[in-house]
Amino acid sequence: MDARKDTVLKVQDLKVAFHTELGTAEVLHGLDYQLEKGKVLAVVGESGCGKTVHALSLLKILPSGGEITCGHIYFKNKDILSLSSEELRKLRGAKISMIFQDPMTSLNPIRTVGAQLTETVLAHRKTSALRAQATAIRLLKKVGIPNAKERMKEYPFQFSGGQCQRIMIAMALCLHPDILIADEPTTALDVTVQAQILKLIKDLQTQNQMAAVFITHNLSIVADVADEVLVLYGGYCVEKASVEELFSRPLHPYTQGLLCSLVSVRDKQEKLPAIEGYPPAAGQTLSGCPFAPRCPKACAKCHESLPPLFTKNGHEVRCWLREEKA
Amino acid sequence: MTRYILRRLLLLPLVVLGVTFLLFLLTQRLSPEMRASLYIKDPRQMGAMEEVIVKYGLRDNVFKQYGRWLGSALQGDLGYSHSANMPVASAIKEYLPATVQLAFATIILVLLFGIWFGTVSAVKKDKWQDIAARLISVGGFSLPIFVLGLLLLMLFYGKLGWFPPGGYSVMTDVTIHGPNFHQYTGLLLIDALLNGNLRVFWDVMRHLFLPAFTLCIGSFALMVRVMRSSMLEELGKDYVRTARAKGLAERAVVYRHAGKNAIIPVITLASIQFIRLLGGTVIVETIFQYPGIGRFGVTAAQQLDIAGIMGFSLMVAVLFVIGNLLSDILYTAVDPRIKLSE
Repeated sequence: MDARKDTVLKVQDLKVAFHTELGTAEVLHGLDYQLEKGKVLAVVGESGCGKTVHALSLLKILPSGGEITCGHIYFKNKDILSLSSEELRKLRGAKISMIFQDPMTSLNPIRTVGAQLTETVLAHRKTSALRAQATAIRLLKKVGIPNAKERMKEYPFQFSGGQCQRIMIAMALCLHPDILIADEPTTALDVTVQAQILKLIKDLQTQNQMAAVFITHNLSIVADVADEVLVLYGGYCVEKASVEELFSRPLHPYTQGLLCSLVSVRDKQEKLPAIEGYPPAAGQTLSGCPFAPRCPKACAKCHESLPPLFTKNGHEVRCWLREEKA
Repeated sequence: MTRYILRRLLLLPLVVLGVTFLLFLLTQRLSPEMRASLYIKDPRQMGAMEEVIVKYGLRDNVFKQYGRWLGSALQGDLGYSHSANMPVASAIKEYLPATVQLAFATIILVLLFGIWFGTVSAVKKDKWQDIAARLISVGGFSLPIFVLGLLLLMLFYGKLGWFPPGGYSVMTDVTIHGPNFHQYTGLLLIDALLNGNLRVFWDVMRHLFLPAFTLCIGSFALMVRVMRSSMLEELGKDYVRTARAKGLAERAVVYRHAGKNAIIPVITLASIQFIRLLGGTVIVETIFQYPGIGRFGVTAAQQLDIAGIMGFSLMVAVLFVIGNLLSDILYTAVDPRIKLSE
């Protein structure tokens, strides 16, 4: 706990709900974690578990209908949720940046790459357009776009998917943010490109001593980049531990299932083990553990009441099976 | 792009040929005697009918007759319009500029109000601003244009006296046709500026406003609808989220990012509406005694002025092709992904 003053992000009891015509559905049921300078937290989970919603809440850019109903998000002791919209704007892109899942649609199709990069600089710095342009070109070079100066005048459709993601990364990093949120940054890319982009993010993150929240469903990425892992299931944090700990001693049956279904080149299995069933739908109210219906080890108690997070040596797990050992 | 424009312009004669030939075929439904009688004003000269039929070749086969019309049309002679009492070419030259001016004024108003209301509607979806914008636009759309025109006339001319009752300009006789006013384009607003005559400019503006406003109210509802739905669609897209995430002000997100993308379907609609306006707007021209081409076209049709009808449709066909071409070119200016090469 000596690194306490280096905490850049602290999320407390974060709850997010969506208001729809069918009623209100809570999709994130109280998330807690903190992130220190230069560290990478991976948030893992399957589709619909609240990964992206959590990421968007950090910048308060939830789509319409979404609302943070409870909790606090502290950025260096400032509660993001209590900031005015102008203070929030100054934070976005400058202190906390984000890169998204699909780079091709995340860039404006009818504005030049140069314009989209420079406007980010100009939105936060009082500087000349020419200077902003120089910054943009320098960053494009840094993320590995050849002929950066000429390509500033081109449009997103003239770049490949991987290059678009490089541009997104340049855009996210141009103001040296303290925190980078990467929402499945490699999911939409070819496998060969994935590794390059991942390496680029990791390199820039270490160089700039940035903290990062890495959202993914890909566990092999987690092993590569993360210091700590948070496993989300049905809007709950079900397990949180350091990356070594989680991979060597997964405690939650869900995490164990996830790790089992990883493909290994060495052992030739006939069929990949998979977790049976589907995750709960958003807004579905369960009295017990959200994983209980699919859990091979579930007992009566699991179906009746929601387990709290049990902590042992910094390893948090939300499972009744770990109760006595805690 | 030049190649594309050239190719489209090469299509122009085909469209014009098609339209005019079909219309010409229709006029052939009238017997030669009926068509000849259109030339004879005095009932006592009915005996001359056979002479007229022979003189104008009204019994020749349709291709020969059409060929004759086309031949003289190509030389700039569109025949004599008995409904307007002048050659058709002169009538178009006389009435078209006023309509072009009215169409431009209207489409500018429609774009201004349509884009503004549509954007507000989308940004404030389901709030009172949205509901108000939708009510106003649908209200305007539902009001018959002759009722609206007369109401505006009653209010702004009758009660308040802010605007003149109609016409093109009160200065036509003395100033505009006078020796010191040079008509460069026939568009009085532009001519007034070119002549440096602000009094004429102001007067023409005052005459233009009520008819343009009436037409605008009647047709901007559709524009609001299109802009609203297109804006809503764009606001939900990923790049808008990116724009917000990088800390742009909300204004920049809405106008610079979403707005520019949302405007693409608006261009299509605006060009269709503009071309329609160029074809003339008879009701408004009648209410405001506006000397436009629409009234010429309708009068020609009512009085079976075949030369007038043919000339009018020729003009509309040409405007239609050119208008569509211009809107295609406009697309490339807004959306870099559209290339007019092949």
